[in-house]
Amino acid sequence: MLRVIVSKVESMKKYYLIVRNTWDEMLTYRASFIMWRVRNTIQLLTIYFLWLVVLPPGKSLLGYSQPLMLTYILGTSLMDSIVLSSRTYIIGEEINNGNLMNFLLRPVNYFLYWFAKDIGDKAMNVCFSIVELTLIFIILKPPFFIQTSPFYILFFIFSAILSLFIYFFINFLLGLIGFWSPEVWAPRFIFITLLGFFAGSLFPLDILPKTIFEIMKFLPFTYLLYFPLKIYLGQLNFPQILSGLAISFFWVFAIYFLVKIIWQKGLKSYTAYGR
Amino acid sequence: MVISASHLSKYYQVSQKEPGMIGSLKSLFSREYETVKAVDDISFEINEGELIGFIGPNGAGKTTTLKCLSGLLYPTNGAVSVISFTPNERKSEFLRRIALVMGQKNQLWWDLPAIDTFLLNKEIYGISDEKYNIILEELSRLLEVEEILKTPVKKLSLGQRMKMELMASLIHSPKVLFLDEPTIGLDVLMQKKLREFIKEYNIRFKATIILTSHYMQDVEQLCKRVIIINFGKIIFDGQLSSLVEKYTPYKKVKVLFREYADPKKIDKLGKIDSYTYPELILSVPNKKANSTASSILKDFEVEDITIEEPQIEDVIARVYTENKK
Amino acid sequence: MGDKINLTRYIKLWWMMTVMVSQNSFVSRFGAVLFFLGKLIRFVFFLFFLLIIVSRTQAIIGYTLWQIILFYITFNFIDSLAQFFLREVYRFRSYVVSGNFDYFLTKPMPVLFRLLFGGSDVLDIPIILLSTGFIVVTLSKIGNISVSEIFIYLALLLNGFLIALAFHIFVLSIGILTSEVDNTLWLFRDLTQMGRFPIDIYQNPLRSVITFIIPVGIMITFPAKAAMGLLSAQSIIFAFVIGISFLFISYKFWNFSLKRYSSASS
Repeated sequence: MLRVIVSKVESMKKYYLIVRNTWDEMLTYRASFIMWRVRNTIQLLTIYFLWLVVLPPGKSLLGYSQPLMLTYILGTSLMDSIVLSSRTYIIGEEINNGNLMNFLLRPVNYFLYWFAKDIGDKAMNVCFSIVELTLIFIILKPPFFIQTSPFYILFFIFSAILSLFIYFFINFLLGLIGFWSPEVWAPRFIFITLLGFFAGSLFPLDILPKTIFEIMKFLPFTYLLYFPLKIYLGQLNFPQILSGLAISFFWVFAIYFLVKIIWQKGLKSYTAYGR
Repeated sequence: MVISASHLSKYYQVSQKEPGMIGSLKSLFSREYETVKAVDDISFEINEGELIGFIGPNGAGKTTTLKCLSGLLYPTNGAVSVISFTPNERKSEFLRRIALVMGQKNQLWWDLPAIDTFLLNKEIYGISDEKYNIILEELSRLLEVEEILKTPVKKLSLGQRMKMELMASLIHSPKVLFLDEPTIGLDVLMQKKLREFIKEYNIRFKATIILTSHYMQDVEQLCKRVIIINFGKIIFDGQLSSLVEKYTPYKKVKVLFREYADPKKIDKLGKIDSYTYPELILSVPNKKANSTASSILKDFEVEDITIEEPQIEDVIARVYTENKK
Repeated sequence: MGDKINLTRYIKLWWMMTVMVSQNSFVSRFGAVLFFLGKLIRFVFFLFFLLIIVSRTQAIIGYTLWQIILFYITFNFIDSLAQFFLREVYRFRSYVVSGNFDYFLTKPMPVLFRLLFGGSDVLDIPIILLSTGFIVVTLSKIGNISVSEIFIYLALLLNGFLIALAFHIFVLSIGILTSEVDNTLWLFRDLTQMGRFPIDIYQNPLRSVITFIIPVGIMITFPAKAAMGLLSAQSIIFAFVIGISFLFISYKFWNFSLKRYSSASS
């Protein structure tokens, strides 16, 4: 039994190396990466300032006071690094330029390989996110809401982990388009555009008209950024948290199975024609 | 018997599209398909430790065959077996023992030193520390890359990069090696070094190697046995020497006369290709080449005499043209 | 007389290159359609977003819904206009890396012209038309706009385009010297997208950046304000001064960079 565990751990070592390699790789592109983070911060600040004037101190919008709203907006930056930092869309390119071949020839699990790469990517992005948020706090001194209940914090973390997986599989799915189309950027562009609104990075989704929001509660995008942050803000009661987690779980597995099926199909056609 | 292909066939459906705008519109609604027989009913057996040359013109089916042998493609018909595995199933145990090296596809992490990729491969293939260190040392010595193991790949020259790619593919000491055009794009010196390395690897590791190449020196220097494939079919499978014998049973003997030689006497020597004094070119059966040469030296005043080996290129070209449908 | 002939020649060259580039993008029609769809979705959704905020809060720093929309549409118009004409700048880096840039230097077409205007894609036009239509609608909804205000609005839009042009020239100049193009270009895009809202909402230090370094305010906020009669005459004149000076300075910088490049070996 112990031997099985030890050998399992040993076989995981290669994925740890992939995480580390990704981290090192990103370091060689320091300058470019920093520019990218600067751009990200500018976009964050645009929305931040918007809400700052829309909700002056004292005013509130559907339950959101200024501190709560600003906490939410700044929180999306961190959640972005944890959940939405992902490179699995590159799968589409790898399929099209034939590099997929390298993985088919090796005893490597393609899913775990990309997951490891994403972890490396997320790690670097989270570090930068923390630095940026610290700077924003020091310079702009936003009113901030700090969650003190461990109950909410725990569920927040748990929900964030589920969000991570949901997005990983969605992005993977998008990458698989590469099996059937050389056009990978266009579908991705549309997806990113939709995500910008539906994931809740511009505004908390519950300020939408009630009927629309009720529908969105069943979409996976809602659970990427909005739901975990909502838990953190302590604005959900226990039944609401449970039902949200249940839906998150559902989406994790639903998209996972979809990915598995399409991956097999895609692989079959890839090995039929080669590239 | 390490590798065997039995009535292996691989057909592709290629869609036809008419040129121009009308063709594009048409293709939205209905597509016509044509079947391309990339590999058509080929069979061969390869034993452990053999170094085989796989040659044929472009589009002959060489790369397709290699891809079937390594598991990247599944056959339309027939069966393939490599070290008792069905390649297409891509079992872990199978993948650990083979390697496919295709010139252009890179597996090295571009921004990091090659050694990082080697370490990763070490984990992927589950190589023990001692084995890894031995192989690393041996391969870097054979390929003369000890100095550049820690240089980021993007900073290496093309030749150095190719050596690293090769190393990354061999770090798990595969017993079966598929090399697709390994010397393409390299300078003459590098090609020579690579050839020596492949020979060394074949002997040292008792590896079974299939090599495709357009460079005849690769084939000449490395392969005793060649399989010639064209239009998806095998047109020759055997020793390189018998190929030469079969298709060019003649050698050329070139003579430079010092003194005028009587054409009537020369007639008896053999088939004359050309005779413009002082130069005579004869075609002589391979076995008789030496004796003919020595009798010429005895009977005539000769300035210079050479026996030319048939060029492999000519041999192969002849094989291709004779088998053209 | 000589100048006039030159202008027609440039327009003709521009038209030919535009036709060629546009034909290219029709080859991957599917992708082109999707890109357009994406931009359309983004446009509509953002309007919807503005609608939601204003409907819940009555106003954003005193601007009504249609006034806020005017700021956004003005941004969209200038942004898409700049992208249409100056799309070639996005390809600049690939030219430098591949060595094609040197080919440009040997051709009898002015290099700057080629690098700026050589890649207009007609697929960008629908969005421009959409923005134009919306501007008309928005202006009529705001009402009470005099003819002179519309005229100043258009003039300031042109001025905004000139500033955008100046910055693209600047990006190219930096690109020649350092091979760094994409990041500076996208930084410019990110700073201009702050102009989706009236820049009054931003605080320092950010506000100084978009006032003095990249005058987003002058590009986008000024025209919209002028249309609504909220801009003083001094500001209007100031805007044109900035626009022309930026263009002038960037052109000088370009010449400097080009000379630098040609004297060093690549």
